[in-house]
Amino acid sequence: MATQRRGADDAATPPVGAGEFVRHNAGLLVRLVHAQVRSQTQFRMSFTMDVVTSFLVFAFEFGALAALFVRFHTLGGWTLGQVAFMGGLTAMSFKTMDMLFSGFDPADFGDGVRKGTFDAILLRPAPLTIQVLGSRFVFHRLGAIAEGLAVFALANWLVDVRWTAAKLAFLPVVFIGQMAFFAALFIAGSTVTFWTVDSIEAVNILTYGGHELNQYPAHIYPLPLRRFFTYVVPTLFLCYYPALYLLDKPDPTGMPPWARFVGPAIGLACFALANALWGVGIRHYRSTGT
Amino acid sequence: MTDHRDDDAGREGALIEVRELAKHFSVRRRIDDDADRSVDTVGRAPRRRLFSPRRRATVRAVDGISFRIAAGEVVGYLGPNGAGKSTTLKMLTGLLVPTSGDVTVAGRVPWRERRRHVATIGAVFGQRTSLWWDLPVIESFDLLRYIYRIPPERYRANLNMFRDLLELDAFLQTPVRSLSLGQRMRADFAAAMLHDPAVLFLDEPTIGLDVVAKERVRRFIRHVNAERGTTVLLTTHDLADVQRLCDRVLIIDGGRLLYDGDLPELQRRFGGRRELVVDLAEDIGADGGVDDGRLAFPGADIVARDGPRITYAFDREGVSAADLIAQLTRRLRVVDLALKEPDIEATVRRIYEERLLDG
Repeated sequence: MATQRRGADDAATPPVGAGEFVRHNAGLLVRLVHAQVRSQTQFRMSFTMDVVTSFLVFAFEFGALAALFVRFHTLGGWTLGQVAFMGGLTAMSFKTMDMLFSGFDPADFGDGVRKGTFDAILLRPAPLTIQVLGSRFVFHRLGAIAEGLAVFALANWLVDVRWTAAKLAFLPVVFIGQMAFFAALFIAGSTVTFWTVDSIEAVNILTYGGHELNQYPAHIYPLPLRRFFTYVVPTLFLCYYPALYLLDKPDPTGMPPWARFVGPAIGLACFALANALWGVGIRHYRSTGT
Repeated sequence: MTDHRDDDAGREGALIEVRELAKHFSVRRRIDDDADRSVDTVGRAPRRRLFSPRRRATVRAVDGISFRIAAGEVVGYLGPNGAGKSTTLKMLTGLLVPTSGDVTVAGRVPWRERRRHVATIGAVFGQRTSLWWDLPVIESFDLLRYIYRIPPERYRANLNMFRDLLELDAFLQTPVRSLSLGQRMRADFAAAMLHDPAVLFLDEPTIGLDVVAKERVRRFIRHVNAERGTTVLLTTHDLADVQRLCDRVLIIDGGRLLYDGDLPELQRRFGGRRELVVDLAEDIGADGGVDDGRLAFPGADIVARDGPRITYAFDREGVSAADLIAQLTRRLRVVDLALKEPDIEATVRRIYEERLLDG
């Protein structure tokens, strides 16, 4: 007998026109996210605490970094302001991704697959991707995003960044490219939980480790680590090399000049790849036994 | 959405059609005679799993089941724990993809056209809720209205009716996390029916509920079946659910369908024996005393004996209770009598335990 396969979920012809389909599902996403925000703001006190706490955590981290620079003055030839520039930029985009794609956080998504909350999503006649995006929305990441923005602003005050029109245009591209890259890791990590939840930690190392890595000038890292995050998981293209361009810094790693500009394209390509993998995962997913 | 029901059922003859359905799970088994490996599995699981050699065993959760359910039927799906009930239900709702076999519900293959399929069914899985945990019930309903594209007037009419039937008003504004189990189940039932599904799948719908709540839920199921012709397939361990609701029962065990028919027939075939419990004034036949044949009756067997208390079992067709009692009281000094009709619960339990339907 032929093996049974699930149909391609989101390719199913909608019962309505394409325009109406997009409108309806965009509206659905807004409603689902709103429901999550409402759920979280119901506990006003704990919500406020969350935002304040995540702001404070970031503030202390920055304080610790600044204290290091008081002692050592530079890190791999970079000043506090230049490191903060990178740190702020990567924090803003990573934390924004972390908020928008909370539903794809592999740890929580894997939990949902195991406990059967993903079944509730399968039972509703709406695209799975929209539903997963709307299943969780960690609103209090706003605190961390604001902190990233503050650090970035501070860095711009500390460093005399020679902004040009080209750089100003490139900045949002870097921001989006990095978001796309880490979102890809989230989506790929969640997809893997359809088959096994054992590899979540490995994915977390790539995601959170990669984010930590992107906060500092990469040439301070040992070569094997740098190679891994350049050629295997191309994290360093997303923030370090673009930062070299934005800050007019020389490249001590000896990469060709275009390395500074390919990051966003790599991010978007990874995002597309992860979405393809997600599609395959959905089709092969067979739910849990009981 | 209501229109699916008529044309599809008419064309197909049956609303739900299941042919040779099978679901086999491949599971890792610890093999006891392989001491090294079992230690390894315990010690270093589960991260090693991907790389260590696996001993696989196949569990046939569902193993070749066929049945048809016509529109408007209420069918009980019974079986002991692990019989394959939930697995079947998951395939019918499209959550699981079978190993082999065919399913159509209203003409569609559940796992092929997930979105269209789930738009025409409702499901309540007793153990978990499909509502938004931190939102007031009414806001969950409103989200579902949007998701299922329920026309506003239809939504209002249904909501009003369910508020009445399920007495929702007391907790419509309450967040789901604060509801009692009974309230939550009622909210889940309403949520499952807001979009007028043609079929309602219920997995243990009354589990953990008190008597009043159970009755309310049963009344609701009967109502939607009678008023809207909603087809219902439910699994339950509570045989009162079956007696109150189901025209027909399917019994499965070990992944195979053992019985498909109505309750009275099941009763006739497997639960036919009535019991007469007799308390005698003296302990005849004990302590080596002579059982002089006064206890023997043709067609009635002594199935239990506890001092002066004797239990006879007999078939309704073979022996009349009045006759048996008359003869007993003539022969012996009887202190007390009790006649027990066979109940469905005992019948089904007996079927599970003694595997009466096997082979």
